[in-house]
Amino acid sequence: MNRAEAVALALSQLPDEDIVVAADGAISREAYRAQDRPRTFYMLGSMGQVASIALGLAMTRMERVVALDGDGNLLMGFGGLAMVGGLKPPNLYHLVLDNGCYATTGGQPALSQKVDLAAAAAAVGYAWARRCFSGDHARESVAAWLAASGPAFLDLAVDAADPNPAPRVPMAPEQMADRVRASLSKE
Amino acid sequence: MSASRRLDALRAAGVEYVAGVPCSYLKNFFAGCRELPPSSFLPAVREDHAVAACVGAWLGGRRALAAMQNSGLGYCLEVLTSLHLMYQTPLPMLVSDRGDPRDFEEHRILGQHARQLLDLLGVPWREARPGSEDDEARWLVETSERERKPVVLLVGKEADA
Repeated sequence: MNRAEAVALALSQLPDEDIVVAADGAISREAYRAQDRPRTFYMLGSMGQVASIALGLAMTRMERVVALDGDGNLLMGFGGLAMVGGLKPPNLYHLVLDNGCYATTGGQPALSQKVDLAAAAAAVGYAWARRCFSGDHARESVAAWLAASGPAFLDLAVDAADPNPAPRVPMAPEQMADRVRASLSKE
Repeated sequence: MSASRRLDALRAAGVEYVAGVPCSYLKNFFAGCRELPPSSFLPAVREDHAVAACVGAWLGGRRALAAMQNSGLGYCLEVLTSLHLMYQTPLPMLVSDRGDPRDFEEHRILGQHARQLLDLLGVPWREARPGSEDDEARWLVETSERERKPVVLLVGKEADA
């Protein structure tokens, strides 16, 4: 399974009211291409802050907050994982699209190849944490993750190859932020 | 009334969420934060994570404030520039003003340059004065929302209230 397919699979499982934080770089671009949603926050920079942004949302909202993270991204801001595990927001669902490398910068290997991210999430206090390294089981793993008690963490292996990269999200940054906030202030 | 005059003033000015890492110059403020409901206070593990969580809380509809020692500004350079300044989201910040010549060595270099750093980033700042908590809280919240950017109140030891 490639990263674009995994992003599309995860988004296809979410009702409209769910809030999504999409990691900077390829993950945001693929999330936009697969399914643009008013409640998706597209990160452009700030690598390492996916879990922290999602935590700020999960603490202040009742809806489910889904963090679409990358393996290198998570490792850069590993303290964010501890904050989620420590505070245990039940509505935070954390998915790592794990290609084992820094694909955006040329495929340099990442330490995620040697670090068990799901074991780390379980150790810091996530209520549910699993890894899925078989593309054949991706669909059922995503379903199990979304059905689990939160905070829930799934480390999902995806191909390192990126045959059809998605273009940049055609929105100004302030428009991206304002749209999410406006969508959440409607109720 | 909480343990912190400054926290009370900030809440009266509309602050609904606080994320931060403690500083001994903000002892009273953080004592007050510990009494807040769990959904309103994030004891962050590093200052950049606090600033990032504030973006999340703002998207969620809350007025969010980040509090930290000035040494944490270094960690925050990336999130201030590629989150709040780029997405144009308001962020009131309380930052301790450490590093005068009597302070410990580890605080002096960043303490001497913190104001210039904020000026370079185009982040408005002001020095807190004891007894001015209400005015300062209103200035912090109003300026950050009007300009849609981070705004810093520098808090010296004598202004911890």
